[in-house]
Amino acid sequence: MSEKKERIILDVAYQPQVRTTQDTKRLMLDVMIALLPAIIVGVLQFGLYPLVLLLTGVCSAVFWEWGYRRLFKKDASIGDLSAALTGLLLGLTMPPTAPWWLPVIGTFFGIVVVKQLYGGIGKNFLNPALAGRAFLFSSYATIMATWSIPNALSGTVDGTTMATPLAGMYGDGLPAYFTAKSMFMGYLPGCIGEISAFALLLGGAYLIWRKVISWRIPVSFIGTVGLLTLIFGKSGYSNGQWMLYNLFSGSLMLGAIFMATDYATSPVTLNGQLVYGAGCGLLTVLIRYFGGFPEGTTYAILIMNLCTWALDKAFHRHQFGVSKADIAFKKAEKLAAKEAAKYE
Amino acid sequence: MTHTFKGGVHPNYMKAPQVPISVVTPPPEVVIPMVQHIGAPCKPLVAKGDYVKMGQKIGENPAPVSAPVHASVSGKVVAVEPRPHPLGDMIMSVVIENDYQDTPCEDLAPLTEEELKSPEAILTRMREAGVVGMGGAMFPTAFKVRSGIGKVDKLVINGAECEPYLNGDHLTMLNYPEKLLKGIELVRIAGGVKKAFYGIEVNKQDAIDLLNSFHPEQYGIEIVPEAVKYPQGGEKMQVKAVTGREVKPGGLPAGVGCTVVSTRTCYAIYQACYEGKPVIERIVTVGGSAVDGPHNALTRVGTPLGYLAEQCGGFVKTPRKIVLGGPMMGICATSFEAPTIKGTAGVLYFTEEEDRMVENPQCIRCGKCITVCPMNLEPVFMYMYYNKGDYENMEKYHVMDCFECGSCAFNCPARMPLTHAFKTAKLMFQDKAAREKAAAEAKAAKEAQK
Repeated sequence: MSEKKERIILDVAYQPQVRTTQDTKRLMLDVMIALLPAIIVGVLQFGLYPLVLLLTGVCSAVFWEWGYRRLFKKDASIGDLSAALTGLLLGLTMPPTAPWWLPVIGTFFGIVVVKQLYGGIGKNFLNPALAGRAFLFSSYATIMATWSIPNALSGTVDGTTMATPLAGMYGDGLPAYFTAKSMFMGYLPGCIGEISAFALLLGGAYLIWRKVISWRIPVSFIGTVGLLTLIFGKSGYSNGQWMLYNLFSGSLMLGAIFMATDYATSPVTLNGQLVYGAGCGLLTVLIRYFGGFPEGTTYAILIMNLCTWALDKAFHRHQFGVSKADIAFKKAEKLAAKEAAKYE
Repeated sequence: MTHTFKGGVHPNYMKAPQVPISVVTPPPEVVIPMVQHIGAPCKPLVAKGDYVKMGQKIGENPAPVSAPVHASVSGKVVAVEPRPHPLGDMIMSVVIENDYQDTPCEDLAPLTEEELKSPEAILTRMREAGVVGMGGAMFPTAFKVRSGIGKVDKLVINGAECEPYLNGDHLTMLNYPEKLLKGIELVRIAGGVKKAFYGIEVNKQDAIDLLNSFHPEQYGIEIVPEAVKYPQGGEKMQVKAVTGREVKPGGLPAGVGCTVVSTRTCYAIYQACYEGKPVIERIVTVGGSAVDGPHNALTRVGTPLGYLAEQCGGFVKTPRKIVLGGPMMGICATSFEAPTIKGTAGVLYFTEEEDRMVENPQCIRCGKCITVCPMNLEPVFMYMYYNKGDYENMEKYHVMDCFECGSCAFNCPARMPLTHAFKTAKLMFQDKAAREKAAAEAKAAKEAQK
C-alpha cells in the first residue's frame, strides 16, 4: 500500500491553495447579464433590427480577436468573453438604424488597434468599445447622428427621425413631450443601449451586488454631473429639473456604469477611482456646456482613460500601520533634508 | 458589535465543528523532527537503540529562541537520521518504534499552587514543555512572552480561526472551556499583564456563550466577538480588531504593547503547567476531497501523513496536493512520509476539485487585490514590478510588508500567482541582504588582515 502511494506525484504550490469561484469569464458574463434590461428596452423602443447590430458587433469582435491571435500565433483568448463584451457594448452605442456593417468596422478598430496591438486583455489604455465608437463617430458622422423615433413617441412626433433631448436642451428648448419621468424610463431617441436610465441603473445595481464593479466610479461620475448641473442651471428650467434632464439624457448612465468602469482603463487605487469618476463627470459637463458636440460622455471617458496611470501613481496609498503623524513626520524629514542640502 | 479590520475576503469556510474529536491510533513508527519551531534546531539527546518514554525530552538546544521536542509515544529509538520534513527538505529526526504501552515519563510534574502564581516558573515550564505558537507560526512561546514583559500591557488571545476547514480551536473551546481559560490566565500571569482579550469570530457563537458562562472576568479575560472574515486571525489584524492599535510596518505586536497567543497554545500551556504534559499531541483537522471526511483527529506529533490518511478512512480519490495548515496560508507537503508536527493544525488532501489554477493567466487590472489587502498594499503593481525584476519599485510598494495571507491571490479572478510572487520576492530580498552582509564582512576581514 505504501509503495503504491509513493508513486502519486504531489503538486507543490505556494499559498493560497483555494481560490474564489469568480473568474474573468464569469465577470464578463455578469456584465452581459447586467446589460440585458437595457437591451430589452432598446428592442421595445426600436424593434428587432437593433439585435442585428448587436449580433454583428459581438460576432465581428470575437472574429477579430480570434483572427489576430491566430495570425500572430498567440494563445486563443476569446474564451474569456472579453471580446464578445466589447462587441456588445459597441453595438449598444450604435444608432438604431445604423447599417449592419458599421459595428464590424468599429470592432476592428477597438479590438485590433486599441486592444490587441497593446498586448490584449488588461493592457490596453483606452476602452476598446468607446475608442471604436469614437472612430466611427469621426468617420461616419451623419450615420452616427441619425436618430429614429422610439415606439413610445411614434404618435407624437411626425417623420422618421428626430433630435435627441440633449440637442433640444442645449439648442432651442426641450420639446414638451420629454418629461423627467419619460426620459428615466427611456422614451427618447438615442443609441440602442443608452436610452433608459432605469434599465441601466438596474444593471448597475446587479453589478455592484455581484461585486463585479465597486460603487466608486459610477457614483462619483454621476454625482459630479448631478452636482454641477444642479449648481449651474439654465434659465427656463428649474435647477432640479435641469439636473434630472441632464442625468437621464445622452449616454451618461451607460458611460458611467458600463464604460468608465472598464477594468483595464480605470484606476485600481480606491481614491484614484473617485477622482477618475469626478474627472469624467466634470469633462462630460464641460463638453455639454461648451463643446462642439451635444454629448460628451465618450470623449470625457476616453480622456480620463489616458489619465489612469497618473491617477494610480498619485493615489498610491500608505500601508497598514502608518498613521497620519508618521506621514507628516516623513514629509518634514524630507523637507529638512532638502533644506540642509541647500546650505551644503 | 463585532470588531474587525479593513479588507479581507470571505472564503468558503467548509468548517465542521459538529464532527466530534476522534483519537487517531498512534502509528507503529513515529518520526519526530528536531525542527518544530522557529529558531535554533534541536540536537538529539537519544541514540539508536535507546528506550524512551512518552513525553520524554529527546531533543533540545540551549539557544534562547528554541523549544525542546518530546517523544510522543514510548518505545525504542530505531533511527536518528535526516527524514523528510513537512515543510520540505530532509531534517534530522528521531524515529521511535511504538511499543503501544504509552509508558509516561515523570520528568515534568504538575506545578504546585505556588508555582502557578510565579511568572518565572510558568515561563520555565512553557519552555521545558516545548510550547510553540500552535496556530502555525511555531514561534517559541516562552521567548515571546518573556521578551514582552514590561513592554506589553495587553495580552491578545487569538481565537479567530479564520482559516477554512480548521476546527481545532473551536473544539478546544467547546470541550475544555475551563482549562482553556486557566491556560490563558497562566499566560497573563507569566507576561505580567492585567488583562487578556480573547478575540473570537462570531461563527463560533456557541463557544463564546459557553466561555462567557464560566465567568472569564475572574481570570482577567474579556471575550471580544469579531466579524467573520479572513485573515482575522493574522497577528496584526487581531491586534487592530481587539485593541484598535496598528502595528508599525516591519514591527511586532510588542511594539504597540501587545502579545498575541493562539487558543491551542494556551491549552498546551494549561496541560504543561497543570498536568505536566509536554506538547505531544494536538487536534488536526483532516479534510479535502481526497478523503472521506472531515475528521477532527487528536493526533500524536510525528504521525506520517500517509498513515494519518489511512486512519481517517483512506483515500477516496487520488490526492494531488497535501496542504498543511489551512488552505489560505498552508504550504504543501512533498512526501507521504513527512510527519505532523506541533504547528500542524490541519492536513488537507486536495484533488483537482479544489484546484482552480489556469495556464498563462492574464491580469485584467480589476483591482480586486487592492480592495482586499489587509495591509493596504497594491498587489497589482507589486506583481508588475516583480515580473520586471524591478527591486527598487517593489520596495517602494512595500512588498516586505506583505505577510502572505493570500487574500489577493484568493480573490484574483484572473488567477494571478500573486502571493507566490511576493513570497519569492521577499526571499530574494532576504537573500540579497544576506549576500551584501557577507560581502561587507569579508571586506572588513580583509582590511583587518592588512
